Formats: sequence, structure tokens, C-alpha cells
Amino acid sequence: MEGVNERLGEVIEASTGGFSAQCYKLYELPALGELVKCHYDETEILAVTCGGSTNSFEPGRRPIARGHDETSEDSLYQNNPQLNQLLRSEFGTVVVGFRQEGKYYHYLPSFPVRLHSFVYRCSDEEIIAFGESLEFLILLEGAQCEVPVEELIAACIRRMSVSNGPDSGFSVRAGKKLTEMYSGDYQRLRAILARLR
Amino acid sequence: MALDLHKVASSLFGMTNDFAASQETRAENLANAIKIFASANNAKSLKNKVEASKTSWLVAEIVNDFNGKHKPGALPEEFGILATDGSQIDVDRHRGARCYLINIGTVALKYGNNPRAELNSHPLLFSKEEDLAARPDNYIPGREMMVEGSLLGIRRTVEEFKYLAELCAGIPKKDKALALVDGSLIMWGLLSKEYPDYIVDAVLENGILQQMESIWQLNSERQVALASYISFSRSTDVVNALRVLVCPHEKADCDKYCTGVSTEERPCACFDGIRDRDIFWQSLDCDERSDVFASRSRINCTRYGRHRVHFYYIKTFDEIARVEVPEWVANDAELLSLSHSLVINQCYKGQGYPVALSEAHEQAVVTGADRENFYHLMDEYMAGKKLSVTISAKSLSKKTRWV
Repeated sequence: MEGVNERLGEVIEASTGGFSAQCYKLYELPALGELVKCHYDETEILAVTCGGSTNSFEPGRRPIARGHDETSEDSLYQNNPQLNQLLRSEFGTVVVGFRQEGKYYHYLPSFPVRLHSFVYRCSDEEIIAFGESLEFLILLEGAQCEVPVEELIAACIRRMSVSNGPDSGFSVRAGKKLTEMYSGDYQRLRAILARLR
Repeated sequence: MALDLHKVASSLFGMTNDFAASQETRAENLANAIKIFASANNAKSLKNKVEASKTSWLVAEIVNDFNGKHKPGALPEEFGILATDGSQIDVDRHRGARCYLINIGTVALKYGNNPRAELNSHPLLFSKEEDLAARPDNYIPGREMMVEGSLLGIRRTVEEFKYLAELCAGIPKKDKALALVDGSLIMWGLLSKEYPDYIVDAVLENGILQQMESIWQLNSERQVALASYISFSRSTDVVNALRVLVCPHEKADCDKYCTGVSTEERPCACFDGIRDRDIFWQSLDCDERSDVFASRSRINCTRYGRHRVHFYYIKTFDEIARVEVPEWVANDAELLSLSHSLVINQCYKGQGYPVALSEAHEQAVVTGADRENFYHLMDEYMAGKKLSVTISAKSLSKKTRWV
């Protein structure tokens, strides 16, 4: 992980339940399931990344294969420097809570983030503090995103486990929370647990 | 009712029949032209004959050789490509507020160890009286020319050169770069109408030639080649030199010898329908360039000075393109070679067309939707200032169609 609260990009689409952001640099996407945050006045809105994509800036201009005579992918980008200006990486998020006056809340904030809000990567300390309650997993469960919900929840727990460390008991807490959430859906529980290994 | 294709289909069919029928004669003419081109081995005598000729068509001036082929030089390790292109929203005479917009797209690409790209657009709005009408210094009312239509196109070209020169000014010392524009370096648009001298001066001496001069001056401490790229050129300058070559008279003189002679009976009729690109498509190998020629157009010979436009043809993997360069590039072996190798390299990167030009176009282009949005915003601001938004009845009737 790079520096604390590294700025990743800027919100280009926002709703109460989630937002999309464009990265400042091509391919510098946060990982799937990573915790990110935006500021809304004094409130910090927290979200989990639920997918990334890289596309042409203009919908009418599809990327074409350019590397037939290139020796490597790096040299393709070196020899076509305009690509960095014509392509953009974007990521979607699911809002999972907010922080006000130092206290974390694990449900939706009253307002969506503003367009062009800066999006920051959360620090390990922030991830640990927010992860003290796993109530937010319910928001991920109901998320409408392109990746399967099992993948999203598992990716988020894996990412938080790294910040918490192996001896923190986080994995056990997460397992208990999942068992509680999916007590009536063994297949789904099994699918998520299989992705935590 | 939109275009009724059923009604035009038979005419279209007839047109393609005519094309097909002329193909055989054209193929024979082309084979003959290529044979004559390849065997023209006395460039000096042809050069003299061209210079002495009086023709009704434009003939290429032969600079050194005539039918040589040149491979591109090695690419420099580091180099820059700078390009501009433009588009416009013309004055809409159906609207109350007179104004026009020129949008200049600029591209600066740097290749080598630290590659980077800067793509920008510069929309310029003109609405002041002095922008809307071109006037001479000693202005007499009624003598001004409205800047719209083709004159606006010419003004846009001047802006393209201004921005290109600005981009070039940022080239670090000792660097190598190619400054590229789309279309011809020769302002043919000035010849299409009888423009008064003050317009020609504004466009040439105080316009593009001034910018070409400042790019040329950069060469004291850098290597900057200036070139323009003409895709699928329709020029016949070199073919016309062949016409002079086969002319049976010592000095070709169309008026003297061929006035009243039917088209088919002229001695050079065998070159009808042949363009320079047809000849070079067969005589050049991929990536090669032709010899350098100079344009003998009047405006080029009398006004361009040290920037007199020369040209050569290159064969990319899918077409023959005409590359025009000022005299100072044509006469400098290194700059000439730089222009050739970098244009070819740009074509490879751009799928057959220089990538810098295609991106400059993308930056500059103003779509129909952009135009609508522009006028919508203008109307909004006008309404905000309690100004009446006048639209002609004709314009309104086109927008609100009824039965």
C-alpha cells in the first residue's frame, strides 16, 4: 500500500448507494473490495470498490490492436504516448458508511457525495477502525454491481484481513458475521468462505 | 421528405457503368505513363523544358532528379511531433447575434525515453466588429469583406499555424521535432476568389509565413522540420511534367499549339485521368519517398520567399500521400530526411494516417451536437441579459417541422 490517504481519483457519477470515480492515472485503480473515502463537508463517506474498468474517453472511439510489431506491452505504450490521454480507468463503489465527529456509522449517509469529490484510499488504521463492526456487509450483500456479490464480499474481507493482521481475530469475526447473514443460504456462505482462502 | 434513393438509383448505376467503361483506357494510359516516367533519365533537360513551358496546367518544378526513390533514414532516439488542426462554427446569418467560433486542436507528442502526450483544444470566439469584417488600413465604407465561409476557413488556417508555431517554441534546445499540419502549405483558398491585397497580406506575410518564419528560426538551436500531409492527393504536377516531356514542340505552349485542338488529339492526351499518386503507387516501394519537386503555382513563387513550397510523395502501406515542405526543409538533407522518416513512423502508429494529425482533428472537431449546444448556451446567456434571441423564420421552420 502506498502513502496514507493517497488520492486516487475524482467522483464522476454519484448516488446515495454508491459512486463511480475516474482515476487520475491510467490503470492506477484501487483493488476490488478496497475501502475508499470522500469528504462531504465535515463528513467522511466510506465506500468499498466494486469493480474497475478501462475504456476510451470517447464512447465512439473504440481502442484498436496496436502491438503487432511491438516487442512488449510497455513498448506499445512508450511508442503511443497519446494512449495515456485517450484512455481512462474508472472504478465503481458501494457506499458502506460514514464518519462524523470521529465516530464511524455502518449505514448509508443522508446524502450522496458531490460530483468531483476527491476519492482517497483509506489507511490501514482507518480500515481497522471501520472494520470493528461488520454491519456494513449487509450493504454489500444488496449491492447492484457487475461483479458477483460473493466475489465482492470475499474481496473486501480479504483486504481488511491484511490491514488487521493474522492475530487480530478479524477473520473469526468476519466468519461469524457471514454465518449470521447466510444462516439460511448454505450455498452462498460456502461460496464466500471458499473465496477467503 | 428525405432523399428518395429509388429516384437516384438508376443515375448511380449509370455512373458506375461509365466508370467501368473508362477503366480499360485508363489502365492503358497509366501503363504508358509509368513507362515514360521510368525512362525519363535526363532530369536536367526536362527541368529546362518545364521552365521554358507555357502550360494551362500546373507543372512540377524539378529540383534535382525526377524519378528517384529514397528509403527513410533511421529514427532519432528521441523526437517530438507537433500538430494542429481546426474546425469552426461559421456565422449563422439566420441568427440575430453575429459571431463565429474557431476551435484549434493541438497535439504535442514526445517519443523516446520519457514519452508523453499533450492533447488540447482551444475554442476561440469572435464577435467584435474588427473580427467579423476584414478591412484595409485605409478603410473606405463598403470595402470590407465579411469573415465567413471560405474566408473564415482561411482565417482558421492562420490560427492553426499560430498555435503550431507556439507549440514549436516550446521545443527544448538541441531536440529534433516535426511540426505537422493537415492539407496544403499553399493557401489555395486565396486563389479561389479575387481577394484584395490587404487580405492576402494578412493571410500570408502577417499570417502563415510569419509563423513559418518563426519555426524556421528555431532551427538555429534545434532541428525542427515543418511539413504538411495530404492524404489521397489529387495533384497532377508530376504527371503534367510528363505532358511537357512528351510535347513534340521544343517549348511546350498550350495556347500556341493546342488552341482549337480536340482533347483527344492533343499529344499529351495519353495522360488524361492519371494522377501523380497513380504513378508513385507503382514506382515506389512501401515507406519510400519520391524525389523532391517544387510547386510552380504563382502564389508560391511570388509570395512564399524562403518558405516556397516543395513536395514529395511517400508510399505508406495503403496509400500515396503528398508531403509538402518549405524550401528550407527541402534544401537541408537532415531536415528532409527527418520529415520523411517521422511522417512514415507517424503513419505506422496511426494505422495509415499520421497519429498526431488524427488526434489534432479529434481535439478540434465540432460536431452537429456541439454546434447545437453552443447556440443553446448562447441563447441562454442572451436571455439572461434580457437580449432578444432573434432567429430567422427560415431557420425556425427547419427546426420545427410540421405537416
